[in-house]
Amino acid sequence: MALAKPAAELRIAGSKLPAIPLPTNCPGCGVGLDVESLRKHNYVCDCGHHFRLGADAWIALIADRGSWKERWGDVRSHDLLNWKVPKPYQEVVEQLLEDGLNEAVRTGTCTLAGRPIWLAAFDFRFVGGTLSIVAGERLARGMEQAASSGIPYVLISASGGARMQEGVLALMQLAKVNAALGRLHSAGVPYFSVLTDPTFGGTAASLALLGDINIAEPGAAIGFTGPRVIKQATYADLPPGFQSAEFQLAHGQVDLVLPRTELRHLLAHLLEMYP
Amino acid sequence: MTRHGRKPDESTLSVWQVVELARHPERPYSLDYIRRLAPDFIELHGDRLSADDPALVGGVGTWHGRTTMFLGHQKGRTLKERVERNWGMMHPEGYRKAIRLAHHAAKFHFPIVSMIDTPGAYPGAGAEERGIAAAIAAAIMEWFRIPVPIVAAVIGEGGSGGALGMGVADRVIMLENSIYSVASPEAAASIVWRDNTRKVEAAEQLQLTSRDLLAMGVVEEVVPEPKGSARIDYDVAASALDESLHRHMQALLTQPTEDLLQHRYERFRYIDSLIHAEPQFGPKI
Repeated sequence: MALAKPAAELRIAGSKLPAIPLPTNCPGCGVGLDVESLRKHNYVCDCGHHFRLGADAWIALIADRGSWKERWGDVRSHDLLNWKVPKPYQEVVEQLLEDGLNEAVRTGTCTLAGRPIWLAAFDFRFVGGTLSIVAGERLARGMEQAASSGIPYVLISASGGARMQEGVLALMQLAKVNAALGRLHSAGVPYFSVLTDPTFGGTAASLALLGDINIAEPGAAIGFTGPRVIKQATYADLPPGFQSAEFQLAHGQVDLVLPRTELRHLLAHLLEMYP
Repeated sequence: MTRHGRKPDESTLSVWQVVELARHPERPYSLDYIRRLAPDFIELHGDRLSADDPALVGGVGTWHGRTTMFLGHQKGRTLKERVERNWGMMHPEGYRKAIRLAHHAAKFHFPIVSMIDTPGAYPGAGAEERGIAAAIAAAIMEWFRIPVPIVAAVIGEGGSGGALGMGVADRVIMLENSIYSVASPEAAASIVWRDNTRKVEAAEQLQLTSRDLLAMGVVEEVVPEPKGSARIDYDVAASALDESLHRHMQALLTQPTEDLLQHRYERFRYIDSLIHAEPQFGPKI
């Protein structure tokens, strides 16, 4: 058994996370940031502040090195509504694609500690991680395949909700994705949902909170209506920590609030427990 | 051409005029229609967990000789009623009540008619504390498992996730002067310009009229309203709604349950299949 351990450790390793733009000081504690050390700690500051990650970083963190196979990466958004304000939607999307981002959700298969999973990761940098037709299509296709193959589904969410620029068809993605999610649940396939900062609107009101296990990152803002709109609509004073991951734990909406540094090990363990 | 001798797309109203008609305080609400469709309607209350949400009415009535489950967002007419009904904005308890009544209908094989008329789910702290997002999410997923025919009608405002939480059905129809949108014009204006007074421009951009939704394939039919809109003649509006709902329901009642659920799945799974039909879209103004 002496030889088995290093092999298992090798299999459990994700990739080195990509560099991400960072402030000079941590917004959580104000201390100057050591970029390389932060990167090794999955962009979690010693004070507990979790920096937002894009889909590329999440894939590197979750997938065993070399195991990621992206699916449907070539599905593209169209400007269906001839959306012109404040900028033409088509131009916004094309610029983001040029910047190397590929829609608000990327999906594919990989292994985690040697076990196959479907992984879908939202990317908040792409129009606020908004649920679009392409995002919905990638999510639904992955769920359908996970349901038929019995491979567990892992979601990382970070989203402002449905994408306004795709109008009511973006809203319909909530139904499309939840229809597929219902099949995943009916098939008895495990679905682990990781909620990161921020997860709101149509994404919270569709797949993100319907995990068999909902895992939230510390301090992540999670809710349906954003605090600004709630204040505008109801003139309410919202208490500190309103809609935080800890608030959602206290209100029964998530199972666990877990630091990112422990996530990979927890998922690996869950995959063992939910074969 | 409809039996009222006028095509819905002959409307000469601006988008904003349609929005105003959809929200008109004299517009018929769910109970105005339900009581005309099923005069013996019995309202049922409560989610069996903690509360009853008056923004959603539900109950049973005899409709074309068959016991039917009616559900509908309900707005109030007087200020007092509006406050009681919370302007038709549901709390989590409303979605839980809707699903309870859907299971009730399934037990007795009652078909379900759902009427949509809401600015959106309630954007308040209490709704958040009691899990509004998860309540809507669970409802949307659960509608796909309800083994009886469901026809939904947007009768006024179809506001975002709060509307869709009641809008998963085998057929969805819209009254001519109703709207259905990913975000209210005010919310969209606030997002785009940080200025919700530019709601008229936002409404034009959102493509939220019944005609737009029909072109996108999101609804099956636009039901014509009497001249001057539904508020002018509740009986004529109700009769047109009744005719359309009944025609769609008749077609569904003969379907085996397995086919019904498969078609419901496919209806939403491929709802954006007109994605390549760009020429049908674009601003009309």
